[in-house]
Amino acid sequence: MGTSKKRLIARFAVDRGDRFEILTRFENEAIQSERIDREKAKAASLMPRYPAAVWFERKIMDDFGIRFEGAFDTRPLLHHERWPEAIHPMRRDFDRDMVLEEAPFRSYRYAVVGGEGVFEVAVGPIHAGIIEPGHFHFSQAGEEMLHQEVRHFYKYRGIEKSCEGKSLTQAAPIVARISGNESVAAQIALARIAERASDTQTPTPQRARQALLLELERIIHHWTDLGFIPNDAGFAAALAYASARAEEARRLMAALTGHRFGFDAIFSGTEDWDKATINAWIERNFEAIEWFESWITDIPSLWDRMDTTGILKRAEALRYGCVGVMARASGLERDVRMNDPFYTERGFAAALEESGDVAARFKIRIAEIKASLELMRRFAEEAEAEPYRIAEPRDGAYDAFVESSLGELYLYVELEAGKITRLFFRDPSFVNWQALPTLMPGNIIADFPLINKSCDLSYAGNDL
Amino acid sequence: MFRYWQRRFKTGVLTENPQLDERLSDLRKRLKKGIAKHFAGSLAIRMVDSGSCNACEAECNALSNPYYDLERLGVHFVASPRHADVMLLSGVLTMNMLPHVLDAWEQIPEPKWCITLGDCPMLDSPIERTFAVKGPAGEHLPVAYHIPGCPPSPEAILEGLVGFLETMEN
Repeated sequence: MGTSKKRLIARFAVDRGDRFEILTRFENEAIQSERIDREKAKAASLMPRYPAAVWFERKIMDDFGIRFEGAFDTRPLLHHERWPEAIHPMRRDFDRDMVLEEAPFRSYRYAVVGGEGVFEVAVGPIHAGIIEPGHFHFSQAGEEMLHQEVRHFYKYRGIEKSCEGKSLTQAAPIVARISGNESVAAQIALARIAERASDTQTPTPQRARQALLLELERIIHHWTDLGFIPNDAGFAAALAYASARAEEARRLMAALTGHRFGFDAIFSGTEDWDKATINAWIERNFEAIEWFESWITDIPSLWDRMDTTGILKRAEALRYGCVGVMARASGLERDVRMNDPFYTERGFAAALEESGDVAARFKIRIAEIKASLELMRRFAEEAEAEPYRIAEPRDGAYDAFVESSLGELYLYVELEAGKITRLFFRDPSFVNWQALPTLMPGNIIADFPLINKSCDLSYAGNDL
Repeated sequence: MFRYWQRRFKTGVLTENPQLDERLSDLRKRLKKGIAKHFAGSLAIRMVDSGSCNACEAECNALSNPYYDLERLGVHFVASPRHADVMLLSGVLTMNMLPHVLDAWEQIPEPKWCITLGDCPMLDSPIERTFAVKGPAGEHLPVAYHIPGCPPSPEAILEGLVGFLETMEN
């Protein structure tokens, strides 16, 4: 594939007043900084070497008005057809009270395949089911998908900007609501940053509390998917079973945090935990996942649909720097928890599959529910119900990684006089969405919902 | 599948909130004429997310799990706005979603109602009104009923939908 072996984690800009700075984070390296002249507002593109740089750089173009030399894709990303031109909201001098008026419609040029008999299918932003909005643009040869473009940011709420000028404590409720599926993970990322900024270490009982809630969040998400993936292949019985287990897990979350999604749970709540309830739930869930696995493994018509469908090749996963379930189902051992002694000392090992298809992602989710239950057993012994309190932070730049239910979540925060001057949030989905089109060729469009659900990426976390 | 049915019979019925059945059957009697006229016996909902965190959607999906079993009440989610009586709107109405939300609303045949779901459409949630946000929903749509919460629990949504139907009495 001719690309570098380094993994691109994030690339984003910061306004320094008299200049811009582009920060790039590669795996196992310190953040690289490029100084960008404010007037020229030009940088060299990484797109040709790192395909995941495409969205990072297009986002910087919209946010800051910086152009990239050598970029092969310069279409707006966040700013859709009706955005006024030359609006760059992440610049410091952007008037935050400005009410944007709709500008005349400028059409978006989709990347499509041409040729005789090739036609386009446009799906979304509003989809048929109860799901988040996003647009998928297919180039079809009959039933077969030749190409797909993923177009997102319909849910773009301006979250990064709205966190600026706030203290970490003030920003916490917003961060908790970036993506409902990963609320606990995002809050823990913020807690890690608060910890670093105040030179403190979270005591083990509190850390165990956070980690327990994070695994519970993962279990909820995986059970939901274990129902919806077969349902998208027409096997509704699995949804009836798995959705009931997801509901029971949500109720445990509500019992432990006072909220079914654990919103604000990392920083609030003091109720004592009833360890007997937690342990009884863990054992019931163990029995449930084992029964589910033995039952569903025996449904050949379902595996007919899942085996060899929507393959993410290992080489593509590497090229895009995929994370989370998608990476692990394609033979990449990538999990933030693997590099954290807090987890490895408690016997954690990442789940791994090689085939990269829907079936592999399905199996990873089953394996990870079991692994998360094992971890919850350990954490339940050590955890105390005391929430994390944010101490007085020092000014500076801090970042943190957390393995959310979707994969590696990256958060970067700069603080000045105790207030956030820049918050950058990279959802695991932001890189994984970009790799999604590589799963389509060779598959029929009727399998798209199944493939998409097996990845189950976030729109809200991606769009911000 | 034998194993499945074995487990199914062992598990029994998980569905809760039987009081809603009673309230609804009572309501059905009272609203017989109105429901027949407005909804042909059942309420069809088109859920539209205009920029939420996905928690409201997750709770709507939870309504179909065995614990809540929404459809037994004659309420169901539909794929096309043209099949809908009600638009259930979540999210803060982003600049990028507003035209599509209005499109969907236009496609719903009269008579129609817009119910807002969760604190976001009212801009009551921690998600702020920024340059990218066009909420509150009331500035763009005739909101007939509001179900608060961040997110509203499945019970709260059920209560809200029954509460909405009760407003039809007047």
